[in-house]
Amino acid sequence: MMDRVAGLGRSSLEVVGSLGRATQFLVGVLAGVPKPATGFPLLVRQLYTVGVLSLAIVVVSGLFIGMVLALQGYTILSDYGSEAAIGQMISLTLVRELGPVVAALLFAGRAGSALTAEIGLMKATEQLSSMEMMGVDPLRRVIAPRLWAGFIAMPILAMIFSVVGIWGGMLVGVEWLGVFEGSFWGNMQSSVDFIDDVMNGFIKSVVFGFVCAWIAVYQGYDCVPTSAGISSATTKTVVYSSLAVLGLDFVLTAVMFGDF
Amino acid sequence: MESSAYITLKDVVFSRSGRRIFDGITLDIPEGKITAIMGPSGTGKTTLLRVIGGQLKPDSGQVMVAGHEVPKLKRKDLYQLREKMGMLFQSGALFTDISVFENVAFPLRVHTSLPEDMIRDIVLMKLEAVGLRGARNLMPSELSGGMTRRVALARSIALDPELIMYDEPFAGQDPIAMGVLVKLIRDLNSSMGLTSVLVSHDVPESLSICHYACIIADGKVIGAGTPDELRNHPSELVRQFLSGQPDGPVPFHYPASDPATDFGIKGALL
Repeated sequence: MMDRVAGLGRSSLEVVGSLGRATQFLVGVLAGVPKPATGFPLLVRQLYTVGVLSLAIVVVSGLFIGMVLALQGYTILSDYGSEAAIGQMISLTLVRELGPVVAALLFAGRAGSALTAEIGLMKATEQLSSMEMMGVDPLRRVIAPRLWAGFIAMPILAMIFSVVGIWGGMLVGVEWLGVFEGSFWGNMQSSVDFIDDVMNGFIKSVVFGFVCAWIAVYQGYDCVPTSAGISSATTKTVVYSSLAVLGLDFVLTAVMFGDF
Repeated sequence: MESSAYITLKDVVFSRSGRRIFDGITLDIPEGKITAIMGPSGTGKTTLLRVIGGQLKPDSGQVMVAGHEVPKLKRKDLYQLREKMGMLFQSGALFTDISVFENVAFPLRVHTSLPEDMIRDIVLMKLEAVGLRGARNLMPSELSGGMTRRVALARSIALDPELIMYDEPFAGQDPIAMGVLVKLIRDLNSSMGLTSVLVSHDVPESLSICHYACIIADGKVIGAGTPDELRNHPSELVRQFLSGQPDGPVPFHYPASDPATDFGIKGALL
């Protein structure tokens, strides 16, 4: 019994310690703003790595999710003779929820795990240490551009996901199932509010982008510098990011859309 | 020691994960000379370099480098001091996504605003010094272990540092690569007037090039002096280490329980 209590205490201390280290790490990264002349090219390179290279998976997933939404929505709405509202249903679902959430999950799986593995390997091969010994702060040079790139790329990816999803929904709903195109776009236009829906979805994706990028770079920087340690850190990045995104989504949805 | 000390460690105590690595180490490293730090595996030789470089903070004691007390330096001042230091890591620690040329140019690009043609000339001079001017366009993955360390050496001297620290430079090298590294360390020290700290347990190679050496064991300096002084040191442990005897003050057997009990032959005549 006492062993279990002691084990629980140890685990709690580890979690609190890890949260403390992660916060300290974040403060260090945010405080060390790189010089624009050197920092901007590094940021652009990372935007390409975490953003542009994630486009394919985001576009393809968005397209299929939009198409599936149209199929499912049509089946349900046609029971009530409301298939004309399919555009409204697809756009609100994507802009408010699926766009930010699924794009963030895909981002964590593709770009987040890659960031963790890259930084972890740099640590294991002493590249971060050698940078420190050359008088170059790795938090500024390596971590900050990756964190900011994730923060910037994620909302853009979420927007692209929603746009492609709506287009996919239009292909199935209008071109295949024969919903009147005017109703599809007209209902969407009248029901989607820029502030309440688009901006709230955008804010969600900004929060998710920040959290996913933070988890990814921290796990890489804090990992045990062995192959097993890097593997564990990469797994943690995907698991923690997914849980954080889903948990935060509930909180943000309750705050933004909950009519209590 | 006729030279003044570039690095001074005084009563340095350092612990990690509840284990005391250094238990009051006191050591002077003279300016412009090669000092070898030797000792059995796991005694904290690499840790000592990290303490000198400010990557690790001691629990107590004084670490002075070029007149600065390293553990008390602010982050910005520490990074400025490190511009005067070079360190050759055991793995080389080259940046794997850029070429040999770009690796050597890296500190120049970060710390200077020299024009591109001047950076090119300096990089080629440094690569020439280590015999790898012709390898400038190769990627780190295309280099052998010895070449990797030579490129890393060229990178660590790119900014003409005052101090260079070598972490196990000879580990895992074939005799030719080892000979090349020994020559480079000796030549760079004499031509650039560097203060060199060499961490190694390759006794013959280290003693052949160092002016001074010290041996660390059990968290303390157990012997220090010129190579000749060490060879005639009164400590049995120092002599065991230098001659590579398998048994002595450092026992062959890891501490274990009574063998008769373990083998289930208690009472039998062993």
